[in-house]
Amino acid sequence: MINTDFITAILLDGIFAAVAAIGFSIISNPPRKAILIAAFLAAVGHAVRYYLMHTELFTMSIAPASFFAAVTIGLLAIPFAKSIHCPAEVFSFPSLLPMIPGMFAYKSILALTKFMHTTDQAASLEYLVAFFRNGSTTIFVLFALVVGAAIPVFIFHRQSFTATRLINKFAKK
Amino acid sequence: MNVHQELKELSKFLSEYSTSLMAVGVQTSRIVRNSSRIAESFGFYCDMTIFQKTIIMTLRDADSTHSYSTVNKIKPMGLNFAINSELSTLSWEACDEHLPLIELQRRYHDIVSKPRESKWLVLILVAFANAAFCRLFMGDFTSMAIVFVATLVGFFIRTLLLERHWNHLSVFIISAFIASMIGSTGYLMHWGDTPDMALGTSVLYLIPGVPLINSIMDVIDGHVLAGVSRFINACLLIICIAIGLSITLLITGISAL
Repeated sequence: MINTDFITAILLDGIFAAVAAIGFSIISNPPRKAILIAAFLAAVGHAVRYYLMHTELFTMSIAPASFFAAVTIGLLAIPFAKSIHCPAEVFSFPSLLPMIPGMFAYKSILALTKFMHTTDQAASLEYLVAFFRNGSTTIFVLFALVVGAAIPVFIFHRQSFTATRLINKFAKK
Repeated sequence: MNVHQELKELSKFLSEYSTSLMAVGVQTSRIVRNSSRIAESFGFYCDMTIFQKTIIMTLRDADSTHSYSTVNKIKPMGLNFAINSELSTLSWEACDEHLPLIELQRRYHDIVSKPRESKWLVLILVAFANAAFCRLFMGDFTSMAIVFVATLVGFFIRTLLLERHWNHLSVFIISAFIASMIGSTGYLMHWGDTPDMALGTSVLYLIPGVPLINSIMDVIDGHVLAGVSRFINACLLIICIAIGLSITLLITGISAL
């Protein structure tokens, strides 16, 4: 069901993801023009993921939703890479940053330390489940993000490997 | 110039070039591709083995009668996508325009010595980013404000300590501890409705996202050894974040995470 609340939520999600992408990407000092593109791609990607995870038609879990969001980012990154002559990962990686499962990652470590501490049998089982749930989510979402962003690169092999080439008149036959 | 001299000069440059690429966080397959491309523009072939701390490289001429090997340490430089992008462009310029080595070295030094973004701008933007991130996890505005302050202080301390060349693992523990201490004020003072999100997202600015992505990328590309070593490095940082956070949880007695 599409209503205005849902659309506003998707748009807000995209806007906040864009702010997050700008801040997290600037730590790794990208070129200025790449930052804006990364913000745009992050907004689109995160909004796609939010939609896939919350729509009533086909509610997905976080890993497949991240995969399709990353594919979207990867596809959009190729024409941008061509037009500003940067490697695609200069702005597709920063735009993936808001979707990196950071919280799951450290929660799995926290669960592991709690498992070590506790002497209670029932609680230790609970922590073990928490560790595996968070840990597997981290790994699967990470792989989904990277594979998703890489698939368009493999499809459009030539375009993406020669994106930083400034003159094409010497292009190989 | 005889072929030995030429091989030696180019080897020195390429090992400098590839270690810089590795230091600024480029995926391994791109390093190999860029270096081979420059070597081929001189009519040579280049093969390399990449580890986390060193790059071993052999440069040989077309019929493999002469060769020159170098082993070079990877210097600590910090992630830098601008250098990544421009050094990749440089490799295409070398390939298309057949630049002489002197010109390549000049352009390389120009690119590497460019200043980074001002650290104050980075600080402010990271703080806003983490606050926005808190909102993505359904935190309310009070939590966002707490996360903003926590990130501002935590990231400032991270930059300060990294500038003084402290061990980066201890820097991560300290800044995770300080950020989560500020993040836990929401719990202690009963500010806002989502104090758990304020505490949980206050350390997320430390998550090494780009190294994690690079590591998976390397594994997929078949550079498994390089990928796994990057992954373990990133995991060490995440463990440090968890340690800093657990110190906060021990002190405050919060058991919500």
